Amino acid sequence: MGAEDTSRRRFLQAAGGTLGAAWIALHWPQVVEAAAHAHEAATGSVDHAFKLLTPPQARDVEAIASQIVPSGATPGAREAGVVYFIDHVHGGVFARNATSFVGGLAAFQDEFAKSHPGAGLFADVDASTQISHLKAVDTTPFFGRMRFLTVLGLLSLPSYGGNENKAGWKVVGFVDRHVWEPPFGHYDAGYPGFEPYAKERQS
Amino acid sequence: MSTRTFKPGETVDFVVVGSGAAGGVMARELSQAGFEVLVLEQGPRFTAADFKHDELDTWFNNALLNDPETSPQSFRKTAQDRAARVRDFPSLWYARMVGGSSNHFTANYWRFHEVDFKERSLLGAIPGTSFADWPIDYAELEPYYTKVEWDVGVSGLAGASPFDPPRSKPYPMPPLPVKSSGVLLERGARKLGLHPFPAPMAIASQPYRGRPACAHCGFCIGFGCEMRAKSSTLYTMLPEAEATGRCEVRSESYVFRVNTDDRGRVTGVTYFDEDRREHFQGARAVVLSANGAETARLLLMSANARFPDGLANSSGLVGRNLMFNTYAEVNAIFERELNEYKSVQVTRIVHDFYDSEPKRGFYGGGGFDARIGPNPIAWSLFAPPPERAWGAEFKSLLEALPRAMIVASHGTSLPLESNRVDLDPELKDAWGLPAMRVTYRDHPDDLAMGRFLQDRGVEVMQAAGAQQVWKAPLGESPGSPHLLGTCRMGNDPKTSVVDRYHRTHDIPNLFLCDGSSFVTSGRGQPTMTIQALAFRAADHIARFARGGDI
Repeated sequence: MGAEDTSRRRFLQAAGGTLGAAWIALHWPQVVEAAAHAHEAATGSVDHAFKLLTPPQARDVEAIASQIVPSGATPGAREAGVVYFIDHVHGGVFARNATSFVGGLAAFQDEFAKSHPGAGLFADVDASTQISHLKAVDTTPFFGRMRFLTVLGLLSLPSYGGNENKAGWKVVGFVDRHVWEPPFGHYDAGYPGFEPYAKERQS
Repeated sequence: MSTRTFKPGETVDFVVVGSGAAGGVMARELSQAGFEVLVLEQGPRFTAADFKHDELDTWFNNALLNDPETSPQSFRKTAQDRAARVRDFPSLWYARMVGGSSNHFTANYWRFHEVDFKERSLLGAIPGTSFADWPIDYAELEPYYTKVEWDVGVSGLAGASPFDPPRSKPYPMPPLPVKSSGVLLERGARKLGLHPFPAPMAIASQPYRGRPACAHCGFCIGFGCEMRAKSSTLYTMLPEAEATGRCEVRSESYVFRVNTDDRGRVTGVTYFDEDRREHFQGARAVVLSANGAETARLLLMSANARFPDGLANSSGLVGRNLMFNTYAEVNAIFERELNEYKSVQVTRIVHDFYDSEPKRGFYGGGGFDARIGPNPIAWSLFAPPPERAWGAEFKSLLEALPRAMIVASHGTSLPLESNRVDLDPELKDAWGLPAMRVTYRDHPDDLAMGRFLQDRGVEVMQAAGAQQVWKAPLGESPGSPHLLGTCRMGNDPKTSVVDRYHRTHDIPNLFLCDGSSFVTSGRGQPTMTIQALAFRAADHIARFARGGDI
């Protein structure tokens, strides 16, 4: 397959195959390159090796993330691999925050151990205990950071290490395509057109 | 004709500092008028293929903005407070790249109304503020608004709004296709007797002047356009300037001083290149279009023995009267899917509350629009109310995102001398230059107007049949992408920095043209007026140059 065939195939994948041939013919030169790199960034294999977090840290991070976005009828933080995202970005795009994140996590674990003697890790206790503990700490900067990272791990491009199999995008109904045509949603389908106003107000 | 490259040591007719909304227009107009123009831009030059659908990098890693690590800012509410360094996201945000913030803007292109230029006369003084009339009026600017619409490229429907000021020509392109959020805003607003209308947007709704139409990809607000459909100066004004053979756009050129001679005239500018080597560039005249934050900072950084308080600052007003446009949001969720992640942000707006009404009990006016904001990440982080910020309730909101929209309101900010940009006495950037210090506290009337518009937004969403409606918290502004008023225009050198032609009162061959020239804030979408001012200023500056009056 030639380079142009490859990029055309990628474009059609990114566009979702919804477009007419005439539209593609008109816009082809402008969109093919952008569509190709968008498609690449949205795919790629997931790396399940931890670079920063120790196994107990990873278990707690995943447990916290799973309470922020729980699993259910749609995927949660666990299915989206948020813990891998949180691990990987602290060696990448958020490397400058790695020390403060690990410090915040250690303080969280210390606090949990103090308030739940003998219970083991946060990840070891039952869901209702986890939830009541998080309610007690959900105004702390560390929890705020965990919420931030959980949402990003759920919904960022899979190339950052989370949003595995685009699980997060399934939750929020976001579809990974490059080009759309109207109607975009339920309410604009069948819109009759803008009805002008009588000139009553103009002075 | 090929792009011009000026030789080292060559003195040009004009140096334009900044290549954004105003700088791009200035470059195109002055070079087409026959002058040699060197544009110096602090950021890199990207192409359409460099812009990615990457919300993390764009919104949460400052991919297009100043990096707060290398270009820090500090912020405080009042002069009595100690300014704290701003982390993660800048207080004053603008794209650091060729084309500036015209790349990442939302592209709402509202003309000012006639009232915007003369509110002080109509409403009277507002104690404790610098509320003033503009030295120009709408009629004088109207031909240049039309020029923006046709030369830069704006989609819209002339005559659709009963509140629109007079216009000499229709829009060159029809409005973009309505989205579900626009239909719902229109439905609710019409039920309440309001007059929603198609939003004017600087985005091509059909192929225009060699650019393709919008592909409705949805990555618009905060992103660069990889279709070249957004009418950024990167795609419109700058290539046309370069095509004259008289204009060079020199990227990664960070101007940190405007130089003056013994006579008090500008001789050129000094800048760092990408390797942080220092260069002097001579010019017969200099135009600063670096934005309402950077223009003021550059003037203050250029202080010398002759101008100890900074250039063009005999009034003491350089950096003062910073205005943001008060912004507020209402969230709504409907029964069926809107899918607001598709297409441009805004397709319908409401201007029924544009004028200030004394009977409201406070000064202010504004408009609101239907949108969603950046999504899916930013909506998920910021839209949920505190009691639904995590857990099962949060998850159910995330699942409702396809059915969600926002009513965003945009209003006036009163000019206050205490709101300002100046130089932080301690904090430095990575080049060793003083960091920008921001002092800002909204006037109580600005917040009252924001709350008023929010309440109207709630009513409209309820009238449209929303299942859930809630207001986003509205507090004092920590910052803004609207950077206005810091070198205000006026006839009196004691109370303004530039004259009605954007020439500084103090230095005859130094001109300032960007959001800094604003006297009042308008109602929230300043770029259209910034560009109209730039077209008008360029006409006059070219006239002065031809007449030997610079």
